[in-house]
Amino acid sequence: MPRYELALILKTMQRPETAATLRRTVETLMERGAVVRNLENLGEKLLPYKMAKHNQSHTRGTYFLLDFYAAPSILNRLLDHLHRDVDVVRSTVLRKDPEVSNSNCCGPKS
Amino acid sequence: MFQVIGGRSVQAARLVAPRSAVLVEAVRGRKSRTDPVAKSKEGRIKEPPPVDPVEMVVLKERYSEYQMIMRALRVQVEKQEAERKQEDAAAKREREQQEFIREKEREILQLQEDAKTFITMENLDQRIEEALDNPKNYNFAIDKEGRVVKQTILQ
Repeated sequence: MPRYELALILKTMQRPETAATLRRTVETLMERGAVVRNLENLGEKLLPYKMAKHNQSHTRGTYFLLDFYAAPSILNRLLDHLHRDVDVVRSTVLRKDPEVSNSNCCGPKS
Repeated sequence: MFQVIGGRSVQAARLVAPRSAVLVEAVRGRKSRTDPVAKSKEGRIKEPPPVDPVEMVVLKERYSEYQMIMRALRVQVEKQEAERKQEDAAAKREREQQEFIREKEREILQLQEDAKTFITMENLDQRIEEALDNPKNYNFAIDKEGRVVKQTILQ
């Protein structure tokens, strides 16, 4: 299964509510058959620009990074679900490619 | 360059010719066949270089034997080289397959080790608490020696 990374920006909330949102997200993932590898918190930061979502304007947000293994077919439905979640400001799924080995096959000709 | 055997007595010349000669018609140079012969060449009778028939026969025999031996040796050596190349290629393929298998096994073991750190339903709450307690910061730069430089503006 390919390895994906979900970059999640959540609304600034109290700790129990953030925990609840995270729990909801991870449970959604696991329901659809994903294997969650790690959850990282990048802190509550000032957003680079004002983001409007679900009739609310956000200036600050909490950034989370969630890497998981999943089948590519679930991604569309998953993103749909995340867009409908009121507490999620932005969600981006990226592919995590394996590191390119440093063999002598490509590179500048010298 | 090559000795040209041609002219009227081609058949006779073929018997006594050395093996390295080329049987080709003589080629006309600058003049065509309708041009008159040059004054200095009037009455010239061209004779081929004298060939000792006994010597020629002996030479032919020796040369043919020599060339046969050389050809046989060459074929043998080339066959050996081809065999060696094939063996090397087979060994290399074998080694690469083994290497690939070993690499995959290593990856599987690594993944099995990593799997112990994955999030499951049981440690979900604990992991969420852990994550909320330890915010990580990837906002740093690295110089050529690998030293980390953290100069972020706190917001």
